Amino acid sequence: MIPPQKYTARLEEKLQYNNRFTQFSFELIEPHRLEFQAGQYISIQVSDKGERRSYSICSTPDNQHQFDLLIDYSPQGLGVKFLQGLEFGAEIEALAPMGQFVVPKELSAEHLVFVATGSGIATFKSIIEDQLRNKQDQRQITLHWGMRHAEDLFWLEEWQELDEAFKNFHFHPVLSKSAEGWTLCRGRVTDCLSIHKQPENAAYFLCGGQAMIQDVTALLIKQGIDQKSILTEKFY
Amino acid sequence: MTTQTKNIGKYKVEVIRDKCISAASCAAIAPAVFEMDEEDLAVVISQDGNDDETKLLAAQSCPTMAVIVTNTETGEQVWPPAGDN
Repeated sequence: MIPPQKYTARLEEKLQYNNRFTQFSFELIEPHRLEFQAGQYISIQVSDKGERRSYSICSTPDNQHQFDLLIDYSPQGLGVKFLQGLEFGAEIEALAPMGQFVVPKELSAEHLVFVATGSGIATFKSIIEDQLRNKQDQRQITLHWGMRHAEDLFWLEEWQELDEAFKNFHFHPVLSKSAEGWTLCRGRVTDCLSIHKQPENAAYFLCGGQAMIQDVTALLIKQGIDQKSILTEKFY
Repeated sequence: MTTQTKNIGKYKVEVIRDKCISAASCAAIAPAVFEMDEEDLAVVISQDGNDDETKLLAAQSCPTMAVIVTNTETGEQVWPPAGDN
């Protein structure tokens, strides 16, 4: 792993998907090139006092001159308020790359299963695109994404494109508070995982709140999955 | 409240275990000073493994302000700022 270092970056673009989720794009100023692995995160200084908050990078490592972050506005904490207040062209101070939640090179699993809730999807956007487009991973890759309401979903076209372009990619959104017209999985991600038979020789990557991580881990172990095959990244 | 501390160098770092939520950002920024133990909580393994600036950044990255930084020359608490912890 490359040790983290300080960067300055400039806010280039905000893409508001809905009332809850907005994507922020930053262009690197100094140093102007960031080497990272898909799945890593960045720590941003969010106050004059020096307080910092961490955000997953949702862009892929082949783009080394900028990085994208997906921000969930709903917590309205210190970091969200700082980012919401940023004007276009404003500069931030960041530490990167950080974290070890990556697909290990030596991983022998034949099937990669990703389970996210809410903004946990950001990490997997980077990892799955990198595995499919850049690394041309031929293994089966399945994504389960849990949200409450259909109106909170985003990146659906991007996932659909991947689903059509790569036969080995399978996308399963699941809504816990779906409207009547919703024809896909309903309930929590644990319900979705209970319905689908777990593939043999799979590695599981879980990203989201602590409760989801605990529940899914317990379910998988109950289904006979070895704990060593379950990798997690908790959000708080 | 239990604390875990070692004391070498200008900046002394201390982890308040009861506040640690296993975010692990301190260990990512200053891996020669912090590591996660068997309970997945941050512990100080050395005071001089990383420089003072890195130790301070590691403390500032903690979302719960579980890492206290003290200047051993002046006795001043450098982080969190007075009144924030």
